[in-house]
Amino acid sequence: MEHSLPLFPVTVVGSWSRPSWLLDALRKRQGGRMTGEEFERVADQAVLEALRYQEEAGIDVVSDGEQRRDNFHSFVADKLEGVKLLTLAEIMDLVEDRAQYERVLQAADAPAFSIKNETVVDTIRPRRPLALDEFTFLRQHTKKPIMVPLPGPYILARSMWVKGVSDKAYPTREHLAVDVVKVLRDELIALRDAGCAFVQFDEPVLTDVVFNRDVKERTFMCGSMAESTGDPSRELLFATRLLNSVTEGIDGIRTGVHVCRGNWSRKDEVLLRGSYEPLVPTMMGMKVDRLVLEFATPRAGDLDVFARYPKRKQLGLGVANPRSDEVESPAFIVKRATDALQYFEPGQIYLNPDCGWGTFAERPMNTADVASRKLRAIVEAARELRRTVG
Amino acid sequence: MRNGIDVDALQAALNAVGAQPESAAARKRVRVRWLDRLKFRAYVRNHQFEVDEPTHLAGDNANPTSMEYVLGALGTCLATGFVFNATQRGIAIGNLEVSLESTQQNYLVFLGLATAGHPGFDQVTAKLYVQADADPAVLRELWDHTLRTSPVGNSLSRAVTLTPEIDILP
Repeated sequence: MEHSLPLFPVTVVGSWSRPSWLLDALRKRQGGRMTGEEFERVADQAVLEALRYQEEAGIDVVSDGEQRRDNFHSFVADKLEGVKLLTLAEIMDLVEDRAQYERVLQAADAPAFSIKNETVVDTIRPRRPLALDEFTFLRQHTKKPIMVPLPGPYILARSMWVKGVSDKAYPTREHLAVDVVKVLRDELIALRDAGCAFVQFDEPVLTDVVFNRDVKERTFMCGSMAESTGDPSRELLFATRLLNSVTEGIDGIRTGVHVCRGNWSRKDEVLLRGSYEPLVPTMMGMKVDRLVLEFATPRAGDLDVFARYPKRKQLGLGVANPRSDEVESPAFIVKRATDALQYFEPGQIYLNPDCGWGTFAERPMNTADVASRKLRAIVEAARELRRTVG
Repeated sequence: MRNGIDVDALQAALNAVGAQPESAAARKRVRVRWLDRLKFRAYVRNHQFEVDEPTHLAGDNANPTSMEYVLGALGTCLATGFVFNATQRGIAIGNLEVSLESTQQNYLVFLGLATAGHPGFDQVTAKLYVQADADPAVLRELWDHTLRTSPVGNSLSRAVTLTPEIDILP
């Protein structure tokens, strides 16, 4: 299916802002006032609305907007036995070191009730597929190629293992990671067999590893509660080993990894900043086809970090800031893509926003209207690039 | 019932309190007893709570400090006021948190390490996070009203710069 894509295909990173009626349903379901089946019917409509926005904007590869998910990784609590979705407020009542969570909340500029973390409370095993049902529904409603975002094994192993809660089932996060890899690998195979075009593994917490000095601290980096050894080199090796264990030897589907610097606040100053440079060797060692990265803001650093690794992988080039109201001009997007052509072939470059529009259900970063206009600008830029480069 | 509060009973209680002129002064009494080292117990009506200092200041870090209680008291007072006023106005609250941060003008004065200035709060930020079934403009006005009528807020803000913020979540 991917062979039919034009040059500079336009796609998304995953999430779409949820409409208020979907959030109402989500809260009812989480509060036990709506059944799973009832929620799915509401979410079906939200998925179709998210799809309509994307198709009307004219993008080439669509997602279901993660409409059924609470956030990009916590949704696994619904799909796995042994995992419970706890709010940070609930977790703070269970653990001894509450002060570290207060620091997390301060950095995140968020209330404890709004942050939910999938927390291992018992041995994990699949209750239902992680995303195959999402894919199957969307497949019935669009002819366009579909991308499916999945949480990466590293963020899952870190976020799901909470000391004092999870260690009864798994003594360490490394023990948990073995089962996480198996779950993700089985899901990747199932999505491949169902005809999915692209699976993106979200590992935003990798920037936290290299940019946060004290990585032993639990951080809010894109929702991850982030248990870590505190040794960046060891963490990056661990992350690479896990992702490669998921993807190795699985052909017939494109895979990628998405790494950003946070998408939880519209205040740029509370998000991480810095060049991808310290992460590029790690990302190049990951057995995935595409690196989906943010390059729309100065916070993200420059594209010359790829100078030592020309044309090695596909690039999902972030060209729109999901957290701003101002719509990027097609000229800006063309310029960014032209810059990328120094290090990538035209056929290797995909255009996408820096991150999702609604990574966390309760904290959307933009409205559907602004998101739609930004996508249209990217589509217009892609047409210009095809005329001038193609 | 609204926000878990019996609205009729609340109104009856307000009518009763309002009929007693001496209620305006709302006299409070607290007794504080030294336990050991820098640990203290405060007795308030039939309740009690303990106060300590952190280990780096020779305490046992068994409980919050007095200033942390003051900050906590401001937060709970503001939260109480918001829920109280919302309930009276028929607004259902889904979730609510208040996050506070303070600085002291010169804490070293208390420790005997400096003489300039005073060791009290000079700046407090109080941010309300709320999910509620109401128009955002109504919630902002309610937050303003809560700040204007907060007993602890007024006790502090007449000497301290109190900066309120609000974040209304969907």
